[in-house]
Amino acid sequence: MKVRVDPERCQGHTLCAMIAPGMFELDDFDGHSSPVDENVPAEHEAQVIQAVRSCPEQAISVTEGLA
Amino acid sequence: MSDEASGGADRRKSRYQFDRHTSDYRDHFEAITAEMLAQCPLAWSDTYGGHWVAAGHREVFELARSAEYLSNDHDVHYERRGYQGITIPTPESMKFQAGFLEMDPPEQRYYRQALNPYLSPAAVARWAPVVTELTRACLDEKIETGQIDFVDDLANVVPAIMTLAMMGIPLAHWTIYCEPTHATVYTPPDSPDMLRLRDRQIEMYRDMFAQLTAIKEQPRPGLIDALARADINGRTPQDMELLGVMALIIGGGFDTTTALTAHALEWLGEHPDQRERLSRERASLLDSATEEFLRFYTPAPGDGRTISADCEIAGQRFQEGERLWLSWAMSNRDPAVFENPNQIDLARTGNRHHSFGLGIHRCIGSNVARMVFKQMIAAVLDRMPDYRCDPAGTVHYETIGVIQGMRHLPAAFTPGPRLGAGLDETIKAIQRACDEQRLAEPVTVRQAEAEIGR
Repeated sequence: MKVRVDPERCQGHTLCAMIAPGMFELDDFDGHSSPVDENVPAEHEAQVIQAVRSCPEQAISVTEGLA
Repeated sequence: MSDEASGGADRRKSRYQFDRHTSDYRDHFEAITAEMLAQCPLAWSDTYGGHWVAAGHREVFELARSAEYLSNDHDVHYERRGYQGITIPTPESMKFQAGFLEMDPPEQRYYRQALNPYLSPAAVARWAPVVTELTRACLDEKIETGQIDFVDDLANVVPAIMTLAMMGIPLAHWTIYCEPTHATVYTPPDSPDMLRLRDRQIEMYRDMFAQLTAIKEQPRPGLIDALARADINGRTPQDMELLGVMALIIGGGFDTTTALTAHALEWLGEHPDQRERLSRERASLLDSATEEFLRFYTPAPGDGRTISADCEIAGQRFQEGERLWLSWAMSNRDPAVFENPNQIDLARTGNRHHSFGLGIHRCIGSNVARMVFKQMIAAVLDRMPDYRCDPAGTVHYETIGVIQGMRHLPAAFTPGPRLGAGLDETIKAIQRACDEQRLAEPVTVRQAEAEIGR
């Protein structure tokens, strides 16, 4: 599974990093999110999907693919 | 232009008499919300000169993110299009721009870029020991007596002092700021207390102006310093504009976190089994519980906007100049997104609530709010685990049009031992730390966590 954060949509709510720690990093200056690695380890897929479901801006998307 | 020619047909399709400033709205919030969500998630209301009301989650989401068609501008000097900002109705007495929340890009973006390095997750994390100490001191003031008012003695105090610390205002001045900031929200304009409150407000604005002037002459770190030095799209803002920004930071920093904390403590007191569960499982549950309290109690229940160009959004045609109320509070109860929306589920997942707003105006203090709230709740769970609130002494705001807040939440608990100094002495210790370690610098200048000696 691959994950992407749309930088135009993200507003720095930080819920993704709260729900899937280690999978997203927050910018030090404005808290905007980006994936630590676009390839999501299988054991973290469920967490990342929870982050997708919780993003108020619907800025996170996942696509199926080999990790 | 006649109503018919100016979109009257569109408005008639989904008319609803909406008045969020009445106590009837507070008393019947769930029924009114359910009715609007089911029948008119995007409604036209004739109240306050006529305005749209977005209640549905999808409608609020799509509208709030359409920055190209929505304006937050409060054009107090009629220099642009005369838009009325984010309050509906516009307060008669106050022709005052509420900082960058009543501005559009690019100015709004310049302000946020100036303040973000003080309020980002990394910047806020540095303050954690300060919040811990403040919370401890507030509880120590009451811990031996077995009696506390969670609003007056805790939830009003910690967010206020923390906000002043980040701004760079001397902490001892917190009493100048605390009462008038809260009272402004809950005091009706016709109240006999209004005259006294006006004096307190004047005293507060005088101190804000004095702080701004002093910091311009002799810089000390904090949000005010950032504002004093800010380059806003090539210009240096006037003092009145900066006072509006300072008022926005104070208003946003004080009463909102107070409201959330008080409501959460009231609910946990009414549900001791859930309180015990939250305390026991807090490592896994406090994050989701915080988001759920945010969703359910939505301290800032909504924002006004002005349509800035004819457009069609969420299936509805809008005309330039029309006013719109985005209800974060009602959209947070939409059953299309939240299962059992009127129940609190501390472990709720997929909680895409709107309590910090959406889009480019997302609450800039959201990281502060979450940290301060979590620390206050955790400390109460640790030190007053058996508290019982007194419903007879509990006072909610009469209306929930501006802030869904509480004035008093008295409680009794089994007394315990003090752990350290009282509040006044603790404030002095924190002030020393602020001065010596320059805690209020932006994260670009200072990365280390605060160290507070007792």
